[in-house]
Amino acid sequence: MKASTGPNDASNWMAQARCLFLKDLRAELRTRVAINSVGLFAFSSLLLVALATRGLREVMTLRMLDLPIDIIRPADVTAAMFPAWSAASKMGLLWTLLCFAAFAGLAHSFVHEEEAGTVTALRLSMSPAGVYTGKLAFNLTLLFAVALLVTPFYMGLTGMQAGNWPVFLTLMLAGCIGLGSTATIVAALAAKARGSGALFGAIGLPIITVFLMLLLNAANTLYSDSTDAAAHTIKTVQDVGGLISFGILLISVSAFTFRFVWEE
Amino acid sequence: MRCGIIEIENLSVTKTVCGVLKQVNQEESDTEKAAQDGLSASSSTRRIHVCLNHVSHRFGGRTVFDNLSASISSGQTGIITGSNGSGKSTLLRIIAGLLEADSGDVTFETDGSYLDTQMRRHMIGMVAPDLTLYKELTGAENLTFFASLKGIKADRAMLVEALTEVGLRGRGRDLVGGYSSGMRQRLKYAFALLGRPKVLLLDEPTANLDSDGMAMVERIVRCHQARTDGALAIVATNEPRETSWGEPLIHLERGE
Repeated sequence: MKASTGPNDASNWMAQARCLFLKDLRAELRTRVAINSVGLFAFSSLLLVALATRGLREVMTLRMLDLPIDIIRPADVTAAMFPAWSAASKMGLLWTLLCFAAFAGLAHSFVHEEEAGTVTALRLSMSPAGVYTGKLAFNLTLLFAVALLVTPFYMGLTGMQAGNWPVFLTLMLAGCIGLGSTATIVAALAAKARGSGALFGAIGLPIITVFLMLLLNAANTLYSDSTDAAAHTIKTVQDVGGLISFGILLISVSAFTFRFVWEE
Repeated sequence: MRCGIIEIENLSVTKTVCGVLKQVNQEESDTEKAAQDGLSASSSTRRIHVCLNHVSHRFGGRTVFDNLSASISSGQTGIITGSNGSGKSTLLRIIAGLLEADSGDVTFETDGSYLDTQMRRHMIGMVAPDLTLYKELTGAENLTFFASLKGIKADRAMLVEALTEVGLRGRGRDLVGGYSSGMRQRLKYAFALLGRPKVLLLDEPTANLDSDGMAMVERIVRCHQARTDGALAIVATNEPRETSWGEPLIHLERGE
């Protein structure tokens, strides 16, 4: 006969998650390891994007001003460049940037526990559900903060428009949840495999590819010039709903499988 | 019953000698008060039987130990000995439920019920070389964090007492990263004793400690042995002074 109830049952894993979240937050504000790595990556990427797309912005500005851009650039080149720099493409680039920034910093949450040897004390004191929820909450908070700082800068640098603001904000929120949950479970896997960075990218790639495809679908719909409002609304709900569903599915699957990752 | 149990009745030792284990949560304080009032038979006084049933473990192709069987009950202190690399730490991790044996199992049984891994861990206090506390937090913050995970409200008085008992009074606000190895080992004891665990697992218990620290550990073990609420301890060591703390439980030979 096994004892069915215990100290780490559903009644207190939320409290444990809250404790872990606050501990991680306190430690992070003190050491700033993840903040620095995510922030440095995000802002150096922003700078590179700004430099790399300077020419494109000039062309865009000239086109907006209705100036004869063919004088500056050959027509065939500009024709090739404009489609590649649509609003949806800008959104794609933003999320690529956020993905790499997240992968640069969010792995720290689990890898640090393994490398520092604190994982033994955590395993003795916490339920797997509490650990997963606490780490997920911390990673999401970090990601929301980065997205909140980086997105306005990025929009200013690239001239990206929000389009429909409620849909844009929902898309950003769903994107952060999807990316944060992906990074959390992949970080746990990578930390257990003691492979850290390289493995983190390798394991995360298949999941992140699906996530980015869904995100770009939603972005395409957000910025599409559809004349049929009803069809556009349905497509928006479908795409953003798909993105949100992916996030929820990932969190659910991760919550169920995390126990096995954590205990191995 | 899944294994034969050798039961040793607890000696009737009063608790007044155990100043080191005063940090109890409210629930346990109430339980003790109830026991003093003659209302015993609460769950906190249940006897525990730990059984190792044909436990084997290997790392890669190397067998660390094979077909180990032993048992220990409340009131006992079991000593695990063996040369370096013989698997003492591995065995303690298996007993703690931190590592799964390749074959066989370890059971914690109380009142005919076998405890699951989470319940087992909840009643364990562990000190081991590979168990580390957070260097980026202070000693007091570490204790507060782990106490809150165990559902214990750590107030200032409790923290001061816990730190005093392990010789770290006045250092609670220092970052653990700035502690010496001996101070970190002392803090591990404060961590291990949070919530007054019934099962104490000590791996190289006096590593990095000076003579005062060694005396502190011995006092902790003696006080744990003196408890009358069903406590037991398992110590992995080769130090002659430490092997005298209890009865030989297992001697491990280096595996192949």
